Amino acid sequence: MTHLPYIVAAYVLGVLIPGSFAVAAFARMRAAARRLAAVDPRANPGSSPGPETGARRR
Amino acid sequence: MTRKRRRLWILLACGLGLGSAATLALFAFSDSLVFFLAPSDLAAKAPAPGRTFRLGGLVEQGSVQRSTEKGRPTAKFRVGDGAASVEVTYVGILPDLFREGQGVVTLGAMQPDGTFRASEVLAKHDETYMPKDVADALKKSGHWNPAAGPPPPAATWNTMEPKKTGG
Amino acid sequence: MDASSVVAPPPSGRNPGRSLHRFANPGRFLRLSGVVLPWLAATGAALTALGLIWGLFYAPADWQQGDAVRIMYVHVPAAWLASAGYLGLAICSVLSLVWRHPLADLAAVEIGPVGAAFTALCLLTGSIWGKPMWGAWWVWDARLTSVLVLFFLYLGHIALVRAFDNPERGYRSGAILALIGVVNLPIIKFSVDWWNTLHQPDTITLTGAPTMYVGMLWPLLFSALGYTLVFAAIVAARTRAAVMERRIRTLLMMRAEETAA
Repeated sequence: MTHLPYIVAAYVLGVLIPGSFAVAAFARMRAAARRLAAVDPRANPGSSPGPETGARRR
Repeated sequence: MTRKRRRLWILLACGLGLGSAATLALFAFSDSLVFFLAPSDLAAKAPAPGRTFRLGGLVEQGSVQRSTEKGRPTAKFRVGDGAASVEVTYVGILPDLFREGQGVVTLGAMQPDGTFRASEVLAKHDETYMPKDVADALKKSGHWNPAAGPPPPAATWNTMEPKKTGG
Repeated sequence: MDASSVVAPPPSGRNPGRSLHRFANPGRFLRLSGVVLPWLAATGAALTALGLIWGLFYAPADWQQGDAVRIMYVHVPAAWLASAGYLGLAICSVLSLVWRHPLADLAAVEIGPVGAAFTALCLLTGSIWGKPMWGAWWVWDARLTSVLVLFFLYLGHIALVRAFDNPERGYRSGAILALIGVVNLPIIKFSVDWWNTLHQPDTITLTGAPTMYVGMLWPLLFSALGYTLVFAAIVAARTRAAVMERRIRTLLMMRAEETAA
């Protein structure tokens, strides 16, 4: 392959930048869901208790 | 509802004002937004002699002369845009993509003898992307000479099967 | 329902639950995004991986650029998303300014850093591509400069929405800045047509056949679609987090008031 260092650099950035943002976003979401569950026991983050069966299944 | 309506109208009016202001500004500054001058621009508004500016265009077919001066690679070529062309001299290593028929942007100044002495040559490639097989097939069949001009319409080659035609 | 009504914004309209506000309901957003998000993230990651691996190992090299053309499979989606993300920011800003859409405020705050990251990715990979092909890391032509301006607009928005003690004022100011910056989008798009630039004009246009071999076009479309879904998933996850964080703050504040009273 020609220009290999340039290609590798571009692909590393192309995976690392979106990847780190994705990991950070999901970690923040998980943390928020946990804290919310601790603050408000009624809230079942992601699905609301009530008509849905999500609450019972847990 | 009326308050939302009013906010929407205010926003639209602001957008209209901003848009026309931006359009006017772009028209006014259009000259300075240009990255390089084409050879035919030089006749109309040539920069003062000795002033550094960028000259861009296509390297004319058959005009490239390479030599070595004091151990450094030197190139002479003509940069044209169809209507006019300028002789350019450049001492240094040319970019990989430099070839006849290729776009280039050079930085330098006009010399008293009417040639352009460049201190930097950048290659400007076009917006076509094709594999080597397809390019070879087009060249072989006589549909395209890269040194002479742009490739034929995309629809004629962008789904080409290189193996069949390249054979 | 119960939890969302706790943190639902003060009912500004006389008929809440009608029209746009139906989708503004943060509780509904949490439920809907909770279902969609895993699929969005998984599909996005899979398509991006497919496009990148295809582009890196199976797509043909360009006849004059050689293998350096493979940088395109990262650079071009990043460039599209830099502009598309800003368009999303602008749409949220209109919803926020005109309809006082509570979810749009949060979404705008969360789009900013993601859009800035993709714009930075576009600028960096463009630089990495420019050095071997053009012979320069950077030039001040209209296309590159207008994308740099886009990056600064994102940074300005990120700073402005967080600059006020009263978040409402931050949302309004950020929305106004975002909408002023929309002028830049057509400039980015048409810069390569309106002025002489070192950057080449668009390969894929609405008006004509793409001037690109299909064997290169397919991996590009896959990676572009994949990156788009990844972008959407990141924004959705961040917005979910923001909605839950706001709910936590409200609940804690209510509890503090109860104990004080």
